[in-house]
Amino acid sequence: MSENFELALQLLGIGMGTVFIILFLVILIGNTIIKFVNRFIPEAQKVIRQNVTSVLGITSPEKMAAIVSAVQIVTGGKGKVTSINKE
Amino acid sequence: MDILRKLYDMTAFSNLLENPAPLLMLFVGVVLLYLGIKKQYEPLLLVPIGFGVILANLPGAGMGIVPGEFIELGDHKYMNLFEIAHEYGIMNFLYYSLIKTGLLPPIIFMGVGALTDFGPMLRNLKLSLFGAAAQLGIFSVLLVAIAAGFSPKEAGSLAIIGGADGPTAIYTTIILAPHLLGPIAIAAYSYMALVPVIIPFMVKLTCSSKELKINMKEQDKLYPSKNVIKNIKAVKIAFPIVLGIVIAFFVPSSVPLLGMLLFGNLVKEIGANTLRLSDAASGPIMNAATIFLGLTVGATMTSDVFLDFKTIGIIVGGFFAFAISVIGGIFLVKGYNMFSKKKINPLIGATGLSAVPMASRVANEIALKYDTKNHVLQYCMASNISGVIGSAVAAGVLISFLG
Repeated sequence: MSENFELALQLLGIGMGTVFIILFLVILIGNTIIKFVNRFIPEAQKVIRQNVTSVLGITSPEKMAAIVSAVQIVTGGKGKVTSINKE
Repeated sequence: MDILRKLYDMTAFSNLLENPAPLLMLFVGVVLLYLGIKKQYEPLLLVPIGFGVILANLPGAGMGIVPGEFIELGDHKYMNLFEIAHEYGIMNFLYYSLIKTGLLPPIIFMGVGALTDFGPMLRNLKLSLFGAAAQLGIFSVLLVAIAAGFSPKEAGSLAIIGGADGPTAIYTTIILAPHLLGPIAIAAYSYMALVPVIIPFMVKLTCSSKELKINMKEQDKLYPSKNVIKNIKAVKIAFPIVLGIVIAFFVPSSVPLLGMLLFGNLVKEIGANTLRLSDAASGPIMNAATIFLGLTVGATMTSDVFLDFKTIGIIVGGFFAFAISVIGGIFLVKGYNMFSKKKINPLIGATGLSAVPMASRVANEIALKYDTKNHVLQYCMASNISGVIGSAVAAGVLISFLG
């Protein structure tokens, strides 16, 4: 029993220590990725959205975002919205 | 007369007269079905588990799971799946092929990953640390369970209930103490269903109304974050890949669960190009896995396994594991607030459990009761999601040391 209890005490220290280390790593990895992405691949989507908005002359960004994302899903990300005509 | 005797033997009544214990188990099965259907406590799991209990305890039906020794041929050799199906029926075939191999929990984790959004956690990375403190229940109940007479492997399986994560609890138990699978799965899912009762109770016991009124958005305005994410989509794609690789080096035994979770999340975040994979992982595959997991786990609960003092120990110990985990998260927040200018609402610590997103929703409701403008859902989700990672890591540690 005392041997098992010793093992459990050991696991309390090791287990909590490991979980804290891993979640520290999660923070570290997350921050590193955010810094890397901010520096090397800052948002490209916004530019496309602005272009399309200005081309189409639609003022509501929500409507534009809905149309652009619908086209992206249907075409598997390959299609681009260049014009919208009301009939 | 002889014909009547044969007719009587053909029915299940003769078995029931010999051993009436299955009747009690049929009652347990009906109670689980009632909780799932009427009370809507985790119906996706409790309904198949409850029905599995009923199937396993129908006298003479041969649907109950037999212990591992029954399929052992000696000299570390086992029956093949065909022989198991032939000898003990389809439920044992399903159990030994899908559960005993440890296949279904990681498959379910893949689906969970495809349904998880790491966005709230990435926007509030510091809060993910509180998901670590909420694993305290696991390791403290491990101590108590050993003191109460459970073997280390059984204690590890019982303690993992404190992680509030069904698939993790099942996966750990399959490896450490498969004979306790039924009661542990029931306890884990029951307490997860009772999150709306347990968290408010623990919060009321440990937090003041002043603490619960801490408004996170106001704190953010006072002390804004230095990290602004310019391209969240790219971050969300890179995160599961890098995290998966790094964790694999530190706790390789957690990879079957975390690896599948992160894969499921990756195919979701890629978007349109892998939409079919993400839909399959979070839809048909996960649903099918849930059905088989529930039925077979329920079928392990035969009367001779369930009607045991250890079951009571598991139910009591599971509650304490759960409660200590909630308190662990709350007290780490309280400790943090003593040294930091930027205060954090202790509800964010209380949601360091894995029960996503129910724990966060419950915490948000509590916060709104104290201040109608204090929406803490997104902040709670940060610690809640990190709790999923934390409990999988804790399971990995237990498996490495006790398995």
